[in-house]
Amino acid sequence: MDCEISEKASMDRHAPQPTSSIPATENTVWADASPLLEAACRELRDGELIHGENFNLFAAMSALEIMDPKMDSGIISRYCSVDEAIEDGAAPIPISFDKTTDVQCTIDIMDYLLACEATWHKGHSLAQTVFSCIYLLRPERTASHTLLDSFCKVIRATCKAVVSVVSDARTHEEEDLFIMAYGLPLNVHGDDKCLSLLNAVEENISRQLRACKAPSSKRKVLEDIEPLQANPDLEEGYCKALLCRIRFRKHFFHVLTCMKRPQGRGMELARKHIATCISELESIYKSAEFLLSNASGTCEDGMEDRTTASGCQPVGFDTSLNCRISAPTPPRSIKLLSWIKAIEYFEKLLQDLDLICSFMLDPSLEVLLHFLVQFQKSQPDLVARAHLQLLLVQDGKLYGRDPIFSVITRAAGLPEAAKNHDIQKNEYIIQLGQLVINMLKILCTNAAWQRRKLGKILQDWRVIYVQLELAFTKEYREVSNNSNNESASVRIFKQILVWIEEQTYWIAHRFLILGFELDLYAPGEYCMVYWYLYVILIKLSEKTQIKMSAADGTAKRKGKKRKDSPKDLARESRIPPAVLFLQCQMYLAEGLTVLLAALKNELMILQSPSPFNSEHERFIQHFELLQKACIPDHVSYPSFKESTAYARFSTIVVYNYFKDAQKIAKEIKSSFSNDPDRLAELRKLELVAEHNSVALNVICQVGALDPSLKVSLEFIHHPCFATAIVKRS
Amino acid sequence: MDNDAEQVMEISSTVSGSSDGSNPKSSSLVSRVRKLLFRKMLVGIKDGRFFLGTFHCIDKQGNIILQDTVEYRSTRRSSPSPMEQRCLGLILIPSSCRTSCHVDCSIEEQLSLLKVQE
Repeated sequence: MDCEISEKASMDRHAPQPTSSIPATENTVWADASPLLEAACRELRDGELIHGENFNLFAAMSALEIMDPKMDSGIISRYCSVDEAIEDGAAPIPISFDKTTDVQCTIDIMDYLLACEATWHKGHSLAQTVFSCIYLLRPERTASHTLLDSFCKVIRATCKAVVSVVSDARTHEEEDLFIMAYGLPLNVHGDDKCLSLLNAVEENISRQLRACKAPSSKRKVLEDIEPLQANPDLEEGYCKALLCRIRFRKHFFHVLTCMKRPQGRGMELARKHIATCISELESIYKSAEFLLSNASGTCEDGMEDRTTASGCQPVGFDTSLNCRISAPTPPRSIKLLSWIKAIEYFEKLLQDLDLICSFMLDPSLEVLLHFLVQFQKSQPDLVARAHLQLLLVQDGKLYGRDPIFSVITRAAGLPEAAKNHDIQKNEYIIQLGQLVINMLKILCTNAAWQRRKLGKILQDWRVIYVQLELAFTKEYREVSNNSNNESASVRIFKQILVWIEEQTYWIAHRFLILGFELDLYAPGEYCMVYWYLYVILIKLSEKTQIKMSAADGTAKRKGKKRKDSPKDLARESRIPPAVLFLQCQMYLAEGLTVLLAALKNELMILQSPSPFNSEHERFIQHFELLQKACIPDHVSYPSFKESTAYARFSTIVVYNYFKDAQKIAKEIKSSFSNDPDRLAELRKLELVAEHNSVALNVICQVGALDPSLKVSLEFIHHPCFATAIVKRS
Repeated sequence: MDNDAEQVMEISSTVSGSSDGSNPKSSSLVSRVRKLLFRKMLVGIKDGRFFLGTFHCIDKQGNIILQDTVEYRSTRRSSPSPMEQRCLGLILIPSSCRTSCHVDCSIEEQLSLLKVQE
């Protein structure tokens, strides 16, 4: 009996709560096991464990270690709960009874939230960034503070809108914790009315601003307007600082809702809001000077690191409170973006969104693909890419408007009428449509993910080609038995097949080019990369030409008399500029391949023997996905070796590929006079060709005699085509 | 309190008598702990949280592994207050942060199982 009492006593001392609120099983009690365990542990030998038969040391290693800051997201640091933090006065309402301080603190909260939001967009959890704000977590509490309340509402509504766009687009790749919003108050009743509240607040503050700016004679009329805060000297500055912040939030929310409209109908309006947002951001940035000079309280020292305009730490934030709802991700320490960086982030985001909105929703796949590649060059962040993807593919249609089959027929150069042909019900054609949608979605993802996925879908494109070809031969046989005129379906099949091949090589080309952007190739591997690029470009230009001439043929057969038909005839004999554009790159790639091979063979430079793997292995590592999909056919490591083993300067100087590239670039410039992107690209290609041509001559003339010649490759004129730099050491 | 202190002393006397490790008493301690395996165990730690799980393993240093664990945390430091809970699965509780440790047992068992000195 004595003992039992002691057990109870020790229980009460150690665990007063769980014994009452965590019940043991029925008819049982919690008995203190500490003394027994302690004694038994002393009996154990080093490394000995007490465990059951199902114990597995390897599995036990995956146990979550409690109180380890990198594993245990539940560590109670300052407060046990949001409620406790509030009771402790961590997020008071009003923030201060002194109105000036209250306004200052509110602005700090707004600024800090901007930094939080940008940090969230950059890939941290919502719970630990934006929702580290206690005011956001308890929507009902802010009701009495209209300014803070309206701001909290629009923040929650904005987060909700962004989460929904990103999760709908499913482009978040590795950044999948972006949309984790479990347990956060994102669906608060009344948040949908945030704009009307925000408008009212904005109206009120602009009146206060007008009142304080008015000359003293007029002031009597406006006397009924209560000033924002107590100090008349600061009134204008604080009114302005608040107004730009509120307006930014308002217009940013408008941007998000406009961009969500189906079929891109809100784009024009969205652009107007984007423009306002950018100018408000500028005002926010400018307000820093005023806020900093009037800041009270502790200031952070590093100007570049400060998370608010005033440099003051905001009231009402605690990152650790929500840490545990960010599970299942391990707890991460978050380095918040600085306020300046946050503003820069939003500027970039708005510019990217503006680019999307300015796209004309061209139904031509070629134009769209070009746009996507250009868009990705600025390395847009997740939120912008998600918006783009949602715009491109809606309800399985391009822009939610053009059926995929009509996009395909157009891309394949078929006449308008083909888009209604029954062939679209063919199961492989439907699959092809899926592949196109899939490709578009992949092109909206980040570069690294995009490259991996593009490499993988190449096989699908290859398979669909083979399947369609089979279906086509079957169809052709049936048709030729029934009638003697070439049926429409045969023509559609033929042209779609050519287009699939072209598109497959386009994907392969993009795959190789992305390798340069991601810095995946070592200088010693450039030779094989350019060689592969060269063989892909041969195929790509070949298929493009076939497609274009077939499309021309169809147009003629239709008997449509064009005004400029004599001109057309003249053009027919020539190679179209789009093909020449590819050929220019092809010559560059070929020239670089031969140059690098000759350097390797004759001067023994730019060889990088790797201690880890052979050249063959590296070839496989880089091009395995292309090889698996037989892109192109009959191309392998031996064929690479064969074509580069005999490269000598004596031969390449006779046939200078760079000169050809340069010539083409010069010639076709005029054809792209209304396409600034391609014109800029052509100029870059021309520069590379010109420089390499000169470098080649120098090496040929001096190289054999002078062993001290140094040749290096640099991407000074073009991100993918290297320029050879020759130096004498 | 007194009783508790007495117990501790009793344990130390047991231990000193079994330094060679072959003492039947000592192995009986280990085997008694072994009997606790697969039982519900409630462990309290420094920051005030409790973990309720199935006793899976303990090592010489007193680190405990629990299976199918639920974490309990009070929402306020001042008691009593409602508890929040969440599932954690397999966890390791280092002995350094452990403040209490209880097992689930019937009242009859309690005496025989936990008494260190028989």
